[in-house]
Amino acid sequence: MVGKNCFAIASDRRLGVQLQTIATDFQRVFKIHDKLYIGLSGLATDAQTLYQRLVFRHKLYQLREERDMKPETFASLVSAMLYERRFGPYFCQPVIAGLGENDEPFICTMDCIGAKELAKDFVVSGTSSESLYGACESMYKPNMEPEELFETVSQALMASVDRDCLAGWGGHVFIVTPTEVQERVVKGRMD
Amino acid sequence: MSRRYDSRTTIFSPEGRLYQVEYAMEAIGNAGSALGILAADGVVLVGEKKVTSKLLQTSRSAEKMYKIDSHVSCAVAGIMSDANILINTARLHAQRYALSYQEPIPVEQLVQSLCDTKQGYTQFGGLRPFGVSFLFAGWDKHHGFQLYMSDPSGNYGGWKAAAVGANSQAAQSMLKQDYKDGLTREEAVALALKVLSKTMDSTSLTAEKLELAEVFLQPGTGEVQYQVCSPDALGKLLAKAGLTQPAPEA
Repeated sequence: MVGKNCFAIASDRRLGVQLQTIATDFQRVFKIHDKLYIGLSGLATDAQTLYQRLVFRHKLYQLREERDMKPETFASLVSAMLYERRFGPYFCQPVIAGLGENDEPFICTMDCIGAKELAKDFVVSGTSSESLYGACESMYKPNMEPEELFETVSQALMASVDRDCLAGWGGHVFIVTPTEVQERVVKGRMD
Repeated sequence: MSRRYDSRTTIFSPEGRLYQVEYAMEAIGNAGSALGILAADGVVLVGEKKVTSKLLQTSRSAEKMYKIDSHVSCAVAGIMSDANILINTARLHAQRYALSYQEPIPVEQLVQSLCDTKQGYTQFGGLRPFGVSFLFAGWDKHHGFQLYMSDPSGNYGGWKAAAVGANSQAAQSMLKQDYKDGLTREEAVALALKVLSKTMDSTSLTAEKLELAEVFLQPGTGEVQYQVCSPDALGKLLAKAGLTQPAPEA
């Protein structure tokens, strides 16, 4: 979700196999560089592998171009990587959030074969995505400061995952501003 | 006589030498020198820049020092275009290792793989060897700080202090005399600058002719840091070591 010169990216913490919960501290939001994060929902192994492959590509980019990747460029890279597997896809839906030129917040999501969807306010993915769309739509306000953004994102996330039996067990929220990153674990219904 | 045996890389001479490899090392002997010194708390790499024209655009990229991964970097002596190819290969290799094993590549393994590539060009394919010598500096959790030198034949060795490029013999013997175990990074920098100033052709050392990089552990986080010295800081270091030519009297 976009705020004023900042963005928030959050996920739930459940890792499960249908009805069995395997872990309650699963990391789904990953850092690419200080101002770029990617959240990967869907199949856990694909999320981890895709993240490792993206780190590979980004590290080489950093070494060659001697700078960090811009979020827009990164989104294109993710989209291309997903489409490479068009007929045997990664079962993942990424949510990409970063601070671009002049620290402008940038967010986008895509489907599992790389169809990019840019947005100015918020993007969602996962099993509770329909619920999240509703919660974000009603709670979002433009130009929120980091503290207010954190509240809004946490409330929207918790409200949506509470109605989803496959998501929950707390929330992991990152608030990224040009100067710092705040990482917080939100306590929710542990079921 | 020996002319008959030196046009192809893949044949020995009657004396049992590979002339193409030796000619490659000759080429490096004409290039700008590079020095590496292993200190107790880091590795210091210093390079002499051969091309110092006013017309040259000084971009951010370094001429002699390159980062290969966050924990390994190298100094180069020889044909720059050959070096670029090998550095790209090294970078890819380091990332592929990290992708498979999810941990940073041990420095010696990276050096070995690069040297295996170099060796290939001395045995088959009919292509000439790479005209580059490297000084690799890095840190890993198995052996701490390490310095390796590799040459066009594909040989490599771990060193406490090493020199490649022009006047490397002289630099190496000077290092042998003055190197002590347990040097700190600052002492190593001072030693490197002193040795380089004696072996370089020019009469005075200025910050524009040199590049200095250090590999060390960041105090606090313990992360490996590769830092290239800025020209200003380098100028100050040279002045402190008493190596810059004093300003002409008014």
